[in-house]
Amino acid sequence: MTAYILRRLFWAVPTLFGIAVIVFLLLHLAPGSPGAGGADSLRRASGKAAEQMRRQYGLDRPLPEQFAAWIGRVARLDLGESFADHRPVSERILEALPHTLALNGLALFFALALAIPLGVVAGGSPESAFDRASGAVLFAMYSMPTFWAALLLQTLFAVRLRWLPLYGTAADAAPAGLAGLGDRLAHLALPVTCLTYGTLAFVARLVRSGVAEARTADYVIAARARGASRGQALWRHALRNALLPVITLFGLLLPALLSGSVIIERIFAWPGLGRLYLDSILARDYPVILALSLLSAVVTLGATLLSDIAVAAVDPRVRDGAAG
Amino acid sequence: MLLPRRAHLPASARVALAVVVLLWLVAACSPLFTERSRSIRLDERLQPPSLEHPCGTDDLGRDLLARIVTATPISLVIGLVAAAVSLGVGFTVGAAAGYFGGAVDLALSRLIEVMLCFPVLFLLLALAAFLPPSPAMVIAAIGLTSWAGDARFARAEILKMKELDYTRAARAMGASTPRILLRHLLPNALPPLIVSAAFGVGWAILAEASLSFLGVGLPAPAVSWGGILSSSANWIEEAWWIALFPGLALFLTVSAYNLLAEGLRTVTTQGGRNA
Repeated sequence: MTAYILRRLFWAVPTLFGIAVIVFLLLHLAPGSPGAGGADSLRRASGKAAEQMRRQYGLDRPLPEQFAAWIGRVARLDLGESFADHRPVSERILEALPHTLALNGLALFFALALAIPLGVVAGGSPESAFDRASGAVLFAMYSMPTFWAALLLQTLFAVRLRWLPLYGTAADAAPAGLAGLGDRLAHLALPVTCLTYGTLAFVARLVRSGVAEARTADYVIAARARGASRGQALWRHALRNALLPVITLFGLLLPALLSGSVIIERIFAWPGLGRLYLDSILARDYPVILALSLLSAVVTLGATLLSDIAVAAVDPRVRDGAAG
Repeated sequence: MLLPRRAHLPASARVALAVVVLLWLVAACSPLFTERSRSIRLDERLQPPSLEHPCGTDDLGRDLLARIVTATPISLVIGLVAAAVSLGVGFTVGAAAGYFGGAVDLALSRLIEVMLCFPVLFLLLALAAFLPPSPAMVIAAIGLTSWAGDARFARAEILKMKELDYTRAARAMGASTPRILLRHLLPNALPPLIVSAAFGVGWAILAEASLSFLGVGLPAPAVSWGGILSSSANWIEEAWWIALFPGLALFLTVSAYNLLAEGLRTVTTQGGRNA
């Protein structure tokens, strides 16, 4: 097991390096930098921003030197200064982070809490009425654009029925602390729903096919023969194996959620990381763009490592295999 | 052999195929609606659906149905070509990694891993915003950011196939590497790749709509479903139809491609072994 973890950590180093290179390439694609071209991009980058870029990233130096200097600063957690308001990038990110954590944390929780039972029940009796109905609904969710779902839910629950607020994180008049909790939860309801259903559909389909396949496997039939009830055989034995692909893909759910966050936070005026990223893209605020791309990829790499190690811990075939 | 001889698409996939064909026909006829989609009638702004305007009118009094129809070819063509680019890059990288193994595999696998770590929309937004806006650039941005899944898939397929008897036989008879890859491995990897391409089209159409929705898609006068949806947010209190109908068109298109992909997957995995 230790050998597996060490091997996995070792191979994460070149991946980390690759992530840094891609982000560095993004910088050189940016208008105003030496690598960028086209009359349009020149028009967009004002002389002042171009000057700031040259200063902050030393763009007049040779490429390897620029890269080394940039990596050196990032390693000391110096993410630079935002072009938009000249505050440290890390400060702006830390401000937005709690909002995104609340949104994505809840979405991830609800997605898993609903998808796993749904997948087990549907996969436990394939082609049953429940399996077909839930399959059709999950398929529709899977193909439904989040921004469309968000607009429809806003129209129904905020404009027509007036049950929920249209957007924002809290009402202006809402009291702070526990008294305002109901108001803040009401503001979370629609964005969390929109961010949840895509992941829910994906995970539920994964669990369903895993359970449907495992239910006729020898070890599940053996469990039944030893006197386990049908429910026990499904939930204790079949589900365990069906969860392996979910754990494997867990790390990759994070970038998918962040992608969704960009759209959801824009629609619901949610001041999180997705909104910060989109605003920075539209304002050409390169230090923020680079920092957020780098951070999200590094966090995903970390989560992927944890998933791989978790899978190896529960599945001896993985840790003893040659898979690096 | 592309598909098993007696392959029957499930009924749902046949309906989906009919919808896809219908959408392409609508796209082919869409130039007839361009003029109508651009005629501004301020006296008819924000009209609800009626016989004259089946999907209502937008904030400038333009006919919404005509605008949705005009946007069809952009969506379909960008979706198809971007998915092809993504599959091409993904297959090349994945097949090279799987076939050559060793150092090539290690390097390319790291590249795939790197790409999977980024939120796709982050890279997509950066590329779409920084490159000069044009259909080719939108296609390039989508194709170049979403190939990693295809690559991982192609690598696994080729890895499985390269130790099979027919590959060994071809190698023993002295077939060259490109010949083995193109004549023996590619045709056999094709069915699962077609499935993944069909899913890829649905994804690419969504990606283009997302870019337009977020304001970094094709500039006016190009009309996009995502763009109409984006403007609908301003009229959410007054005009529900501006949000409903373009989204419905998008949903219909994406689900048709996904349903077709599901059907193709059923056919290729069930008939593949004894075909």
